[in-house]
Amino acid sequence: MFGYYFNLGVRSLRRNPFLTALMVLTLAIGVAASIATLTILHVMSGDPLPAKSARLVVPLIDNGPTIGWSPADGPNDDQMSYIDASNLLKSGQGERRTAVYGLYLPIEPPRKDIPAFHAGGLAPTHDFFAMFNVPFLRGHPWTAADDARAADVVVLARATAERLFGAADPIGQRIVLDGAPYTIVGVTDTWVPRPRYYRLVGGDRFGDGEEFFIPFTTAIRHEMGNAGSMNCSSNRDPGFANLLTSECTWIQFWFELRSPSDRADLQAYLNNYANDQRKLGRLKRNAPPGLYDLMAWMEHLKVVGNDNRLSVWLSFGFLALCLVNTVGLLLAKFSVRASEIGVRRALGASRADIFRQFLIETGVVGLIGGLLGLVLAFGALALIGMQSKGMAAIAHMDWEMLAMTFVISVCAALLAGLLPTWRACQVTPAIQLKSQ
Amino acid sequence: MELRPILSALLRNKTGPLLVALQVALSLAILANALFIVSERRAVVTRPSGLADEHATFYIEVRNLANETPEQQLASIKRQTAILRAVPGVVGAAHASQMPLSQSGWNTSVAVDRRQTHESATTSMYISGDSLVHALGLKIVDGRDFLPQELVDLNETTTRDLPGQVLITRALAEKLWPGASAVGKTMFFGYGEDAQATQVVGVIDRLEGAHAPVGEGAEYAVQVPARLYGNPGALYAVRAEAGQRDRVMKDAESALRKASATPLILRLKTVDEDRANRYRSDVALQWMLVTVSALLLLVTCSGIVGMASLWVTQRRKQIGVRRALGARRLDIVRYFITENLMITSCGVFGGVILGLLLNHLLVRHLEMARLPAGYLGAGALLFWLLGVAAAYGPAWRAASIAPATATRSV
Repeated sequence: MFGYYFNLGVRSLRRNPFLTALMVLTLAIGVAASIATLTILHVMSGDPLPAKSARLVVPLIDNGPTIGWSPADGPNDDQMSYIDASNLLKSGQGERRTAVYGLYLPIEPPRKDIPAFHAGGLAPTHDFFAMFNVPFLRGHPWTAADDARAADVVVLARATAERLFGAADPIGQRIVLDGAPYTIVGVTDTWVPRPRYYRLVGGDRFGDGEEFFIPFTTAIRHEMGNAGSMNCSSNRDPGFANLLTSECTWIQFWFELRSPSDRADLQAYLNNYANDQRKLGRLKRNAPPGLYDLMAWMEHLKVVGNDNRLSVWLSFGFLALCLVNTVGLLLAKFSVRASEIGVRRALGASRADIFRQFLIETGVVGLIGGLLGLVLAFGALALIGMQSKGMAAIAHMDWEMLAMTFVISVCAALLAGLLPTWRACQVTPAIQLKSQ
Repeated sequence: MELRPILSALLRNKTGPLLVALQVALSLAILANALFIVSERRAVVTRPSGLADEHATFYIEVRNLANETPEQQLASIKRQTAILRAVPGVVGAAHASQMPLSQSGWNTSVAVDRRQTHESATTSMYISGDSLVHALGLKIVDGRDFLPQELVDLNETTTRDLPGQVLITRALAEKLWPGASAVGKTMFFGYGEDAQATQVVGVIDRLEGAHAPVGEGAEYAVQVPARLYGNPGALYAVRAEAGQRDRVMKDAESALRKASATPLILRLKTVDEDRANRYRSDVALQWMLVTVSALLLLVTCSGIVGMASLWVTQRRKQIGVRRALGARRLDIVRYFITENLMITSCGVFGGVILGLLLNHLLVRHLEMARLPAGYLGAGALLFWLLGVAAAYGPAWRAASIAPATATRSV
């Protein structure tokens, strides 16, 4: 019976092409607008590392001043001082741990025909690569020993390696970074997470990824400045050595736990640590250290902006309007078919049959609207992607959203069809037949 | 006026009119909020930066690969500034710590009293050993620019003590000392015991900060008269003669490279590029909202027109009877227009409430601004006009049919 009703539906829609086209179009643009904006939201707020996001946690230690502070205020800053970062690196807590800060340094290629250039990189520990599943094309991360002795080693991103060495194997070669020679130990495969969840504070969250990595301890030993944001609540003394002993916050920190249940232990450790530091005269605020897992951290730093939410809200409002419009159109369409319904009812069709037939017909509208909406949504996403490279990477549809498009459009069409269909079922055959 | 019969006719068949009213309400609510946000963002995007000629202004970041001592660096900075000034077509050049709208720079908190427990404002900090007022073409509205003897050289690796004079923007002056002249007043960098005191010597009409946030702080900026050196890398702001920018950029680059014995890494950027980058997402949001608003109006219009013509067709016989009984064409048209006005009025009424509700949600959850009543008023007017216009066509067509034709099949 489904096939028959489906056929009837298609036929009836073809009988009145203008009205049908209007319905399909209205539904399609409503669906396209909501799917396009929802896709952006979905990609931005998606879990970048589903397998371990609950085990990757960010500690926040509040070392802000007490002047004008009340316990209800949030933490002073979203980054950490060097004192806390180096203490936590030594803590041995969690399975892996890394401090992270950004670098922007001149690279002098070994080949003289390539001019020197500036590159943006990262200073993490060797754990970083395993923690965030960074894929390696050649070589491997540096070792714990390299971290310990602040060795002059570097891991290049694939694009940087190709720029410097072409297709040749660069492992073991040397490049000059910020005036000092570094040995290349590894080359990562293309790895550009958007948003750049491992370092959300400072720089472009939807940028092109890191160009190189050197050990955190090495960057500190070379007194490399932070290419990112730094927050100092009091005037600090000049010079890099004084920065390291200051309460300025400029470093981001990550722990990887063995299991999410270890979180309570880590929290207890941090509480103890904060108390010890208070005894030493640091951490004037009596605020407990914060602990955020990856998803909570992205939420805390508002990776999904209010503007993205606004777009989704308003486009769903628009979809609602399109639905109301479609209800009106369907009502008009079904009202002229009262006599047809009368005949069918008189010939023995039950109300349920009529209900099914008309609902299937609106389902057909939903399906076609969904298809067209999908095409329009791809167009809209392409338009959105044109604004920047980062946006282009975000504005792409995955299977989930593809399925979602059809679910939304068919549900929308069926919802819109409910009232008109119910009204169609109320047709009294006797009156209809009499008037013919 | 025959309001009662129209009303009772409407009440007998509620679904259609309700749908139209609902459409009007939804569109009005979304449209008013969307257009308000668009106009707000437009105002943000078109804010003047304060530069005399933004299109002609650019900057160069220079990094020398030779490991220079701080003193050699200072000499290089002075030499490079002179080289840039000598490039034909350059109006002004200055060594500076940051550029407006570049989204990279220093912010500092300032206070008017050391004993404050909160800062008075957070402001963007320009540090330059040259006259930025001259180089960028800024306007002084009160007080004066720095005197040549106030411009000092400062090694940032050995000292953090800033000079004792500053220029501030009018917006910041208004915020710190509302209604009073800021010139001669003492301002503090930070607050508390170790806050550093400094004296305001002049007020700049406008100068946007490096980050130019959407809210009130966009034009909070201070200028400190110091040529900072000691860390590698330097930034020069250059203003070219109008229309000469691209040529001057090329010439400036080659002049700098020619004068350096060691290789340089140079990055040149225009203020136009920075402006586009800074406001890219705001412009994108505007486009998105304008598109949705246009589609919204289109859908609603088609809805109203479609429904109006459907009702007219359904009631052709009644129209014929009324005409035969002596109603004029005008009466028929008036009937439909009144009917439509009643429906859109209901919709407008609901739309105003829905619009306020939506705005309340936006303010509460998405930190948007409160919607001025004017937008709802204008929206209401628009939909009333739309309602009349939509009903007029079908009604006039129906009224033009001869009563004999219309009633033939009765």
